[in-house]
Amino acid sequence: MIDTVALNPDRHVPGARRHPRAADTLHAEWLKFWSVRSTGWSTAMLFVLGAGLTTLVCATSAAWLASGEADESPASFITWGLFFAQITALALGTLIVTSEYGTGMIRATLSATPRRGAVLAAKAAVLTGTLLVAGVVTAFAGYLGGNWFLDREGIGIALSDDGVLRSMLGSGLYLAGLGLFAMAIGLLVRHTAAALSIGLALVFVVGNMAFLLPGTWGEWVAKLLPGNAGSGVATPVSFNPELLAPWTGFAVFTAEVAALLLAGWLVFRHRDA
Amino acid sequence: MIVARGLTKTFGPKLAVDDLSFTVEPGRVTGFLGPNGAGKSTTMRMVLGLDRPTAGSVTVNGHSYADSAAPLREVGALLEARALHPGRTARNHLRWLAASNGIPRTRIDEVLDLVGLDAVADQRVGRFSLGMGQRLGIAVALLGEPPVVVLDEPVNGLDPEGIRWVRTLARELAGQGRTVLVSSHLMSEMALTADHLLVVGRGRMLADCSMAEFIADHAASHVRVRSPRTGDVEALLRGRGLEVDRQGAELRVQGLDAAGIGELVGGAGLLLHELTLVQSSLEEAFMTLTADSVEYSTHPAPQEAQATR
Repeated sequence: MIDTVALNPDRHVPGARRHPRAADTLHAEWLKFWSVRSTGWSTAMLFVLGAGLTTLVCATSAAWLASGEADESPASFITWGLFFAQITALALGTLIVTSEYGTGMIRATLSATPRRGAVLAAKAAVLTGTLLVAGVVTAFAGYLGGNWFLDREGIGIALSDDGVLRSMLGSGLYLAGLGLFAMAIGLLVRHTAAALSIGLALVFVVGNMAFLLPGTWGEWVAKLLPGNAGSGVATPVSFNPELLAPWTGFAVFTAEVAALLLAGWLVFRHRDA
Repeated sequence: MIVARGLTKTFGPKLAVDDLSFTVEPGRVTGFLGPNGAGKSTTMRMVLGLDRPTAGSVTVNGHSYADSAAPLREVGALLEARALHPGRTARNHLRWLAASNGIPRTRIDEVLDLVGLDAVADQRVGRFSLGMGQRLGIAVALLGEPPVVVLDEPVNGLDPEGIRWVRTLARELAGQGRTVLVSSHLMSEMALTADHLLVVGRGRMLADCSMAEFIADHAASHVRVRSPRTGDVEALLRGRGLEVDRQGAELRVQGLDAAGIGELVGGAGLLLHELTLVQSSLEEAFMTLTADSVEYSTHPAPQEAQATR
């Protein structure tokens, strides 16, 4: 029999901390998130679509908006690009989970951090932080770009105008919520294509089709769908007068996202990796 | 040390792991052997807390894996070489793993160097060959200098030099007093690496013994005897209480070595034409042991059967 040595883990890796903390899990998820190309591309697309399309639509519509024939408020256009930026938020949220299942990475992740709640919390924090910042920065850039054209026609919007600052912050909040929404779908279905299709369909197709539903109940269903409830906070004046009030809608959206995340967590907690 | 007690796992109606109890001791290489689909990988996933046992339990260093504060510094595992995102570089893969367990970054270069991937550390792993992927997996397993190392089919996809490297590495780790569990479906591989064997088939434990015991118990040997007077020799040997099996003109004798048989037969004045010790290989022993438990057995192709007609 060979003499056995009681190995002390700390002795062998100089500098290793005895107990990794939640901050270490967060750091690991941050490194993981930013070390694949899809994250950089998606975030860049979010900015280009969000700020770029807002600027473009303001440039092309400014004259019409100033002419007096317009039946829309210029303020409705100042976060217009957000509609398309939603796609990238959904993609980032989906991929943060489904890319792990698609590649088998989830086993590496859970063997490094067996506390599944900590893994999920770290992923949610990284996603929320990134989308919140990207959303607010994009909205401000869109405002600066778009408003330059509106200003030239004398219909510029001030940051102090009603709902403008709220829509800048709201853009970040809504995109972060949408990312978490997609992450929860990813936890439930685990396949990138399936999860992304469900997310896009719910927000873009079902969300718009629901307004065709008849009667008061149909109107309520449409108002309460996640994309419709949550997006109001991200625009100073909505194109759609039937939406819930901005913060009411966002509260409904937050509750929906929380419920879906809870379902995702309950499934994730016990599932074989 | 890994201790499993009554470990059972079912997937729907299928019993993948059936009441396994075993102990993997430190200071030696334990081979986990079985045909494909025998339940080896499922067992290893349960060791790491990735799959929940349907019944029973498994502990590593006295507690369940999930209760470890820094599991990578306690247990290093190579599960599937491809548990990697193809778009991430080898170094970045190790970076996030190190960060998650509070392992300093300097250790990353050490393990990259150890597995021979330092030159390609900044390449995306999607471009890695199967063997390079395996090496990265082994780097991951060794990242936290863990006292327990679990390697699932580590030589898959490696070239002969790589295979020898893994073999030496496993022996070195055990020599340092670590607990080493290596799975394989190749007996020949285990014969060169393992001190102790756990043989499973269809989720059941078929053998839990030292390599030497396995050879003694399962690699059956007999002495082949040919003589112009087969009948007389057979009667003589049977008369001495030996086990004799007559196969045509050949006798297969068990219970005495070749020298002893020679002396006995010579003493009776009988002539011998052949006296040979025949030992079945470990591979054959393994095949015999697991014959009934092979999940995907093959049948001769019909064309071949026709050709021999």
